Amino acid sequence: MRRRDALPDPEVVHGLRELEAALAGEPTADPDLALLVADVAAARPEPGATFLASLDARVHAGFPRAEETPKHGAPRAPWHVRLRRPPALVGGFAVLLVAVVVAIGIGSAHREQPPSQSLGGSEVSSSSSSNGAGSSAEKAAPSAPGPSTTLSATTTQPQRKVERAAALTLTPAPDDVQDTADGVVRETQAAGGYVQHSDVATRDGGGDASFTLRIPSARLDDTLARLSKLAHVGALSQSASDITAQTASAADQLSDARAERQALLRALGRATTARQIASLKARLRDNRSEIAQRKGTLDAQRRRADLATVAVTVEGTGAPAKGEDGGGAWTPRDALHDAGRVLEVAGGVALIALAVLAPPAILAALALLAGRTVRRHRRETALDRSG
Amino acid sequence: MELSTSEPTTARFDALYRETASELFAYVMALLRDRAAAEDVTAAAFERAYRRQAGFDPERGTQRAWLFGIARNAALDELRRRKRTAALLSDPEDPDASAAAHGPHDDDGEAAIRRAAVRAGLERLDPRERELIALKFHAGLSNAEIADVLGISVANAGTRVHRAVTRLRKACHAPS
Repeated sequence: MRRRDALPDPEVVHGLRELEAALAGEPTADPDLALLVADVAAARPEPGATFLASLDARVHAGFPRAEETPKHGAPRAPWHVRLRRPPALVGGFAVLLVAVVVAIGIGSAHREQPPSQSLGGSEVSSSSSSNGAGSSAEKAAPSAPGPSTTLSATTTQPQRKVERAAALTLTPAPDDVQDTADGVVRETQAAGGYVQHSDVATRDGGGDASFTLRIPSARLDDTLARLSKLAHVGALSQSASDITAQTASAADQLSDARAERQALLRALGRATTARQIASLKARLRDNRSEIAQRKGTLDAQRRRADLATVAVTVEGTGAPAKGEDGGGAWTPRDALHDAGRVLEVAGGVALIALAVLAPPAILAALALLAGRTVRRHRRETALDRSG
Repeated sequence: MELSTSEPTTARFDALYRETASELFAYVMALLRDRAAAEDVTAAAFERAYRRQAGFDPERGTQRAWLFGIARNAALDELRRRKRTAALLSDPEDPDASAAAHGPHDDDGEAAIRRAAVRAGLERLDPRERELIALKFHAGLSNAEIADVLGISVANAGTRVHRAVTRLRKACHAPS
């Protein structure tokens, strides 16, 4: 690469012209300069015949590697050249990069999608708690999130009573609020549950609805999965509370009340005076109401365990409906979406990689530049000192 | 892409080698002033050039300039390696042998004296001037090629060549 600078002095230009003429052997050349050219040419050192023959042989043999190291050493290739030689290194790095991109892409996709459906941008959470003192509710209570996750407290350990609840937010397209609300009712009935409370409000360009559903606990997971397919899931949370202790307490109290009734009835049979009979009948009346109350409490506890409470909120926010999004089969549209997502993730990874690699790359480039400058300076210094 | 050593020498490299072998040796010799080292460096330069043929870019200069640039770096690395021991290791030309080698037909006494003065003048030049004389007179490079070899501008190369020739002419006429 040539550099530009100021035009040379006219005297220099003239001198160079004469020199070129002398070197070319032109008859018009300066005779003194022509003589100098001839004398310098005569003083030119020539390589020895032996050396030339040896070099000829090496050139024709293509500089075989075995002879690569002469007496003073054929210069070893610089590190950056050696680094470029093993293509496996470059290939390995590329494979590693691709693997990282794919792993991150898959990991990201899994974070955002439950196994049975797409929940793009949704929040899914689960919580559990135990109200039973000293109980092993933690073992019985479910902890894994997701509609398809099996919360097996009431099925695998029937002796334990677990109250389950869920909150689901669906965000269909504004025009689909009514259809989604109908779907919620339909799926609830299909599951053997009932709608405890509903509030549906539709208007032009949107609408919203809220439901309180009671779903048989054994079918809660399946029902949540079906409800989630009605529209885009904005949020999903589940909770479970162990109420075994409360249920057992209510049952014990009922049993006690019944035992007391039996005792009162036996005492009534043995009563001989009118006063004793009247007193026992009064106590039996009180006992009857206590039994009814205890029974009601126990039934309520059992209902809490048998029926899960699901709060469903439908918000017409404009998110694409599941039907439009192809919630069923994997369509070309899904493929396009997935491809875009992969590119998005790959772009993100590339950006992060750039952010990570750019500073050391810049430093390496500066070091390389500095190294070249220093080496060049040392070479020039060596030439100056060789005189 | 580098050619493997098992491949035959390319015709282009062979032509370059034949065209420049003696000139390159003369140039390296002017830098090192040590025949054995000059032979080694010349061979190393050709080997480097052979292995880096694919890296030659015609847009950045001629193949001769590229080759002489490689040789220059190799020679300067050799000078760096030797540093102060260079003087002890050097094997300067025997003036008598050199005269016999270069001028066996110097039947003209005046010519012999003149050429001895030229050799002495070359010795008086500083290394950079001697290098320029070698590049211009021994290797026959153009100013543009010299500029490429030295990494300077063409005008600067011309100025330096002119200055070196002027110095050489004065040195030749200076009393020994």
